[in-house]
Amino acid sequence: MIEISATPLIIIAILGVVGVLLPVINVIRKEKGSNSFYAVITFAALIASIGYVGYQFINENVAPSALFSEDVIVDDAFGGFFAIAMLIVAIFTTVGSFNYMRKQNYPAIYYSLILLSTIGMVLVAYSTDLIMLFVAWELMSIPTYALVGFIKRNPQSNEAALKYFLFGALSSAIIVYGISITYGITGSTNIGEVIHGYANLDPELLPLALLSIGMFIAGFGFKMGLVPFHQWLPDTYEGSPPTITTLLAAGTKKAGFAATIRIVVLGMVVLNLDWTLALGILAIMTMTVGNVAAIMQKNLSRMLAYSSIAHAGYILIGLAVAPHSNLGLQGSLYQILNHAVMKGMAFIAVAGIVTTLAVTNLDKLKGLGRRMPITSLGLVISLLALAGVPPLAGFWSKLMLFGGALDASTALWWAPWLAIAGVLNSALSLAYYGWIMRRMYFEGETEKRVSEPKSVIAVMVFSIIFLVGFGVYPDPIIKFVEFATPIVSLGIMP
Amino acid sequence: MVNELSEFVLVSVALLGIGIYGLAVKRNFIRMLFAVEIVINAANLNMVAFGRFLPHSGGQTLALFSIAIAAAEVAVGLALIIVAYRMYHNIDIADFRSLKG
Repeated sequence: MIEISATPLIIIAILGVVGVLLPVINVIRKEKGSNSFYAVITFAALIASIGYVGYQFINENVAPSALFSEDVIVDDAFGGFFAIAMLIVAIFTTVGSFNYMRKQNYPAIYYSLILLSTIGMVLVAYSTDLIMLFVAWELMSIPTYALVGFIKRNPQSNEAALKYFLFGALSSAIIVYGISITYGITGSTNIGEVIHGYANLDPELLPLALLSIGMFIAGFGFKMGLVPFHQWLPDTYEGSPPTITTLLAAGTKKAGFAATIRIVVLGMVVLNLDWTLALGILAIMTMTVGNVAAIMQKNLSRMLAYSSIAHAGYILIGLAVAPHSNLGLQGSLYQILNHAVMKGMAFIAVAGIVTTLAVTNLDKLKGLGRRMPITSLGLVISLLALAGVPPLAGFWSKLMLFGGALDASTALWWAPWLAIAGVLNSALSLAYYGWIMRRMYFEGETEKRVSEPKSVIAVMVFSIIFLVGFGVYPDPIIKFVEFATPIVSLGIMP
Repeated sequence: MVNELSEFVLVSVALLGIGIYGLAVKRNFIRMLFAVEIVINAANLNMVAFGRFLPHSGGQTLALFSIAIAAAEVAVGLALIIVAYRMYHNIDIADFRSLKG
């Protein structure tokens, strides 16, 4: 049995109660405005949750990454790691919305949906049962469909929501079909028993096991934006409110990786197949398509959306080499945390630019460095970190990822090619990041400085401290990542 | 008369195929929503059938969860479609073209 003071249960209690009560408070107070009132409550709830996760870690109440449990959720370091990453993203979204939501209606419902979606993301990382995983997945997804289409009068927001909804619904249908096949061939929905069932599988059922793993990759891949399943992503990221794009790019995408590590990677290990090659090919395709398409974009949100696709490819490198190199999986987790901060920061900067200047077209960003100096500095730091320039935090995670790929080269002949493709793609990405920076600082007439939203400045300052601080001194985070990374090898069978 | 497990699975695979076909070919948004629902119900049929041939009832539980969640999902989807219809007076997916790259 799981204890009542376990981290996921407390997070559900805090965020769930606040999330359900916000619309009720709104009805009782009988008013439409006062965005900051609800934002402060949401912010307090998220800070309390992340504080509790940190408290549990400091008091060493957290089990090492277990991956399996007889219960539906397990309070382990792996889940705690993802919970911290996702709560940071939710805090960024909330703080960024202080300013953005001032001009929009229904703030109470907006923040309530953010909180409910955050519970879903956190629970995906903690769940050890396929039923729980599916319920948490949908709890994460359904509020985001409504949030993407939140600006009702805006055709772009609606179109983005329709596309996102269609692909999201299809992905959950495929996941539930995969779960049904898995249940049929292993007779259980508990992930530990499923892996055990896969390991002792009747050879006649092997094609069905492959089908179920393939369906999991496709279903989770839709949310992660892997390349054959990425068509919805740029449209949705461009059309949705930029604060919600933060939640999608930095939050729900990472939940897909958590679910993939929990089920797909382990399943592939025990099925003892050369399926890691499939993940490797997906990784190279995702990186290359994302970066090449990003070069041709004229819109800042869209360019960042394609860069987000490319980053899903980098993270996938670690999953592909996971059975042979634990360094790769550690790099993946590290990159997930860094990418949450970097992408969150970049999209909050976009939100700040949209609310003050109402432009996202790259040609209209000329001279941004003089008009909004702090936001521009934050955007530049995040872009450099995304490209993996030392000494920022993004460099270390990429180093670990590519090091893991080289580390696995004794067992997998194709693994070094992953590292080569990753380095080439990083160089390619620096080209279009440099293009944005050139626009912001070296072009345009001398424009007057405009006042920047304080909430955006707060996010920028926090992220710059995070990226530069942990870039110069990465030891604490690397230790934390090593503690949180599960050991994935043939000996882990329950 | 008792049906074999394989018969249920064949029906379920056929439904999966119909759902994917519908998504690929149809351009009306509500039809595409139906196609997704058909895929989800194919999975439900699978789970109930497997649950009947296994010694415990986990499959039926899973199917109940899945039905409830699919209902919530469709509610959000239909709300989005209503908003789109008010704006475009049309729900043909090919007409939504304001976002391009």
